[in-house]
Amino acid sequence: MGKAKEAIRVSGLTKIYNGKKVLDGLNLSVKNGTVFGLLGANGAGKSTTIECILGTRRAEQGTALVLGRDPGKERRALFQKVGVQFQEGDYQPEIKVSEICEEIACLYDSPSDWRELCERFGIGDKLKNAVKSLSGGERQRLFIVLALIPAPELVFLDELTTGLDAKARRTVWKILEDLKAQGLTIFLTSHFMDEVEALCDEVCILKKGKTVFYGTIEQAKEQSGCEKFEDAYLKFSDEEADA
Amino acid sequence: MRTFTNLLKTELKLNIRNMNMVIFAVIMPVVVLVVLGIIYQSRPAYPGAEYTFLEQSMSAVCTISICAGGLMGLPIVVSEYRERKILKRFQVTPVSPVMLLVVEFTIYVLYALVSMVLLFPAAACFWGVAFRGSWPAFIGSWFLTLISTLSIGMMVGGIAKDTKIASVIASILYFPMLIFSGATVPFEVMPKMLQKIVGLFPLTQGIQLMKAASLGLAVDNLWLPVAVMGAVAIVCTGIAVKCFQWE
Ligand SMILES: Nc1ncnc2c1ncn2[C@@H]1O[C@H](COP(=O)(O)OP(=O)(O)OP(=O)(O)O)[C@@H](O)[C@H]1O
Ligand SMILES: [Mg+2]
Repeated sequence: MGKAKEAIRVSGLTKIYNGKKVLDGLNLSVKNGTVFGLLGANGAGKSTTIECILGTRRAEQGTALVLGRDPGKERRALFQKVGVQFQEGDYQPEIKVSEICEEIACLYDSPSDWRELCERFGIGDKLKNAVKSLSGGERQRLFIVLALIPAPELVFLDELTTGLDAKARRTVWKILEDLKAQGLTIFLTSHFMDEVEALCDEVCILKKGKTVFYGTIEQAKEQSGCEKFEDAYLKFSDEEADA
Repeated sequence: MRTFTNLLKTELKLNIRNMNMVIFAVIMPVVVLVVLGIIYQSRPAYPGAEYTFLEQSMSAVCTISICAGGLMGLPIVVSEYRERKILKRFQVTPVSPVMLLVVEFTIYVLYALVSMVLLFPAAACFWGVAFRGSWPAFIGSWFLTLISTLSIGMMVGGIAKDTKIASVIASILYFPMLIFSGATVPFEVMPKMLQKIVGLFPLTQGIQLMKAASLGLAVDNLWLPVAVMGAVAIVCTGIAVKCFQWE
């Protein structure tokens, strides 16, 4: 497969839970080598979008192509090159950091060096510890490491820096920027607008499963007439409440 | 292959760390053997029998570990991994469901193997238990019993919605099979009526076959237990693979 210009293409994605449309005809396109941010309030449908794209949830309507493939049909080939960090990661009760890394690494043809990744994310001294004994932030970092172990072309990070301290967040940004410079495509969700501003080339703001803004950070500021991106975000995601 | 051995290594370590199976699949059969050994010593199976009671019970004792793994360990591990969304994490990797099932399956094969390797020398050492039959026939029937029981467990783990349901189904299968197939209570001491009923369990068939093989007795109707166990293994494995749910 040649390099598609689009890493992700989503069209008309609709997901219904208990008769309620959680996603409503969502369209997205993420270019190769860019960072895409999916934003929205709690319950807006961000995690659902990621799961429908990955094929871990069936969408009622619409299609998603990832690296030019259908995740439902070509799961095994696709996930050689795609890393995923779910919002809630769970793990075997007794597993240690080194074991979980090794277990994930052995699934790929050419994985990254997980020791080095752990080192870079500041958990290099915790390899022998049980995952359950890590602090919340350390565990979060571990799950980012797990998503990067495949040496992916594309990575999904759902709430990547939730629970991280200020310094760790900067470290994570730096690492992601480095990886992006090497050609990695990143699809992330976040509730921190400073982070989105620092990382994302394009964003989509969701509100109850519908797109209320789609474009660059600059365009968001322009269209909303706000100077700060955070204000622009709040304006977009609150629009109807004001009306 | 590298994936398989790596996964097996990690999952086996976790399983041993958990200790449940070490107790139920390795220690418990030894305890049962010791109890039977102390009670029956080297008394013959019945007056005038050529083999001892203990020799006759060895096959049944060997299946305690098979039962523990196949009817408790395997279904609960698989459904627990599903409930805790560990399978969901595997779903977004290149691993195939069959690989994961085979890894867990192999772990319980190893437990059963370790248990058998402990039991025979111990029994020979302390109570002079001799192996009178054919090893290949015994290993063959042991293996058939093993895979048919494990495949039942794999199916239960595959279709149970959560750990609760899996443990309920597992207990419903485990305790009657353990007690009545002749694994703990020898088949021979049961009333005739009960023998007929428990004859329907695949495990009972397996134990009878192993017993004949280990004692060197002739088996009439060899095809019946083989067919029952083979069919159970194929059907259950098929269902487990076909109906595999990541979440
Ligand atoms: N399995 C489910 N069954 C029923 N409703 C669900 C299910 N999963 C999610 N929902 C609903 O779908 C909506 C979107 O959920 P989703 O997890 O995608 O939100 P989110 O944008 O990721 O929110 P957060 O910022 O809190 O992570 C919510 O209203 C949620 O209650
Ligand atoms: Mg979410």
